[in-house]
Amino acid sequence: MRRLPISGGLTRPFGLTRREFVGRSAVCGGSLWLLWTLPRPLALEAARQSTDRLVFSESEWELVEAITGRIIPTDEDPGAIEAGCVNFIDKALAYEEADQRDLYHVALEAIDDAAQSRFGVRFAALRAEQQDEVLAAVESGQLRDWPSTRASSQEFFQMLCTHTIIGFLADPSYGGNLGYAGWKTIGYPGPRHEFGGYTPEQMIGEEKIRTVWGSEID
Amino acid sequence: MKRREAFDVCVIGTGAGGGVMVRELTAAGFRVVALQRGPYLRQKDFVSDDELGTVRLFSPDQIETWRPTANSRTETGRFNYVAHCVGGTMTIWAGWNWRLRPDEFKVLSTEGPVPGASLADWPLDYDEMEPFYERAEWDFGVSGDAAANRFGPPRKRGFPNPPVPERTAARRFARGTERLGYHPFPTPMAINTQPYGERAGCLYGGACSGFGCPMGARATTLSVALPKAEGTGLLDLRPNSLAFEITLGKHGYARSVRYLDQENRREREVFARHIVVAGNAIGTPHLLQMSMSGAFPDGLGNSSGLVGRNLMFHMVVQASFVIDEPAHGFTGLETHMAIDDLHPSDPGRGFIRGGVVIEANFPQKQPLGYALISHTGYRNGAPVWGSDFKDYLRKFPRVAGAAALLEDLPMEENRIDMNPYVNDAYGLPVPRITHRQHPNDLAMAAWYEKRLLEIADAAGSQESWVPITVTEDQPMKGGSHLMGTCRMGNDPERSVVDRWCRSHDVPNLWIVDGSVFPTSAGYNPTLTILANAYRVADHFVSEAKKGAL
Repeated sequence: MRRLPISGGLTRPFGLTRREFVGRSAVCGGSLWLLWTLPRPLALEAARQSTDRLVFSESEWELVEAITGRIIPTDEDPGAIEAGCVNFIDKALAYEEADQRDLYHVALEAIDDAAQSRFGVRFAALRAEQQDEVLAAVESGQLRDWPSTRASSQEFFQMLCTHTIIGFLADPSYGGNLGYAGWKTIGYPGPRHEFGGYTPEQMIGEEKIRTVWGSEID
Repeated sequence: MKRREAFDVCVIGTGAGGGVMVRELTAAGFRVVALQRGPYLRQKDFVSDDELGTVRLFSPDQIETWRPTANSRTETGRFNYVAHCVGGTMTIWAGWNWRLRPDEFKVLSTEGPVPGASLADWPLDYDEMEPFYERAEWDFGVSGDAAANRFGPPRKRGFPNPPVPERTAARRFARGTERLGYHPFPTPMAINTQPYGERAGCLYGGACSGFGCPMGARATTLSVALPKAEGTGLLDLRPNSLAFEITLGKHGYARSVRYLDQENRREREVFARHIVVAGNAIGTPHLLQMSMSGAFPDGLGNSSGLVGRNLMFHMVVQASFVIDEPAHGFTGLETHMAIDDLHPSDPGRGFIRGGVVIEANFPQKQPLGYALISHTGYRNGAPVWGSDFKDYLRKFPRVAGAAALLEDLPMEENRIDMNPYVNDAYGLPVPRITHRQHPNDLAMAAWYEKRLLEIADAAGSQESWVPITVTEDQPMKGGSHLMGTCRMGNDPERSVVDRWCRSHDVPNLWIVDGSVFPTSAGYNPTLTILANAYRVADHFVSEAKKGAL
């Protein structure tokens, strides 16, 4: 008869950086199916609505904000900066993504160093094209002296993009998507279920759809 | 000595198969204990539209391993879309609801043997299943148009609810497919288009597949079967109860189920005269394999050596496309429209078998799925950052999708066994999935991929792409349609259970879930799991009445 060893609390068996950005391996019936295969803890626990810095230093906060501003740039619509993606990432690292904290610290330092050595100023002070040049080097693994053996710069950049996108488009209760900036940008009206869902007329465009922030879309 | 509680039946798992068994057996007066891994979530617990919230709600301790062949390195992760909660994965299902075509019960006879595949006929046919399909459709309240699918199986009775309404993406799909000479029709869905029984009509709020239904409009065992079973007073439903061993008693009968009380972290044991395993095609063989004994060194009921083998997931091919008007894909259900013209097997296409094609807005129904997943194959892997990416995001309201759900061929080497190296949080060996695609699967997927892109063009797409392509190097590691690992058949050496889903080896052991499917068919499996459970329950009750159990 099998003896069942009972261990302590649940452990996180894997980290985002060791995986592909999204599983490219399979698709299945279910809109969330691949999201399902991402590590669990991308949702945040307590304090997620606070905008106090929990993990980043002041300069790291400024740097991450600048990077996210290039991942989803601001144009006629809000971008990652207006959506508060840096706050989302700060809270993610404080809680469920805590395992990634050290990687973030060393990777951010390396990115600022790269900006300094290329252009002589901190990343946040660069012009947009210069920032993109640095990020392209991170994305393609061209950065010299990458400090982490745990994750490559490509993997780190993928994770940063994922975090930024989630911060932009997840429910505002997770600390990003401030003022529905992300949903307004992409034209998603927000969770309509509590407001009565959609009528058959709305589903074929014969009636306007009211967003959860009170405007109307087609 | 403390008197041991003994039940008539212990059902392990409360999804489509187990939920119906629980309902039917309690209705017949049997005392049933049901063990379910994970919590008892109710409608009020289901988050609406919150993609992150719903992902973290279900199966937080799920951990699996996968490798393509027995000689490859194993990856650890979450590969299957399952919900460990009362009601099982049906709690988060999309609700597509199909009867299999008659030929899909007889694939070996229809096609003949295929090298590398373990094709088999089901030990029953469509006519035997037909009344149980009908019962399942009326109990679960399926919406559809009975006359609409000229390629579907014959049916004696219509659907209990009218078909689902249209959305713009579905209209465009219908227009495109008609232009190509196909015959679109509303997808039959187990979702109320009007109040049905005690359940509300759907509000079409959009957060459907992957979410628990906050109003019970989608038919699940949680909303349909289990409340009725609880009402009999004969059901002892035990959530947070993870079965890890079925013990074997004297005379070769299963004696008890040992399980972990996940809340109190204590081992418990429950005794029953019959044991029904319904833990899906991964959980079921995994539990049998963990139940080793002197009589069954390779796992309970595994004299055939087939427990865990012939794992099937279906092939799912999907195309996304952008149209010139709001598609309203984020409203309504996962799918509203389908064609079945491409379903019948035609070896002239270069492969056998086929499947249904639908208008389906996955994986892009909600913003994160669109941004993180649908983008994968966009413009041959465009960067996920910068102005171009933001332009992609702004196409969200105009994105539509089409998908094909295809019959994959069973292969004995595609299997589940216990991973000897990786344990879960409870110290149990995790399932090890060994799975890759049969060449027929890959040829079929490539052919349907082209058809989907043609449909996108005919529907007026401005740009179209295939987010994820399954190839020999990138086989499916998991799915949501888990089938095949305890196949049913008449020959005890070539199957695990008989035509009544009763173990060939252990007379009081029954398996009632997708595991028993000998082949996977080109339709979603849930209605067939439900109907088969009604069929088995009927047999169980009539045998019991005869005193033959």
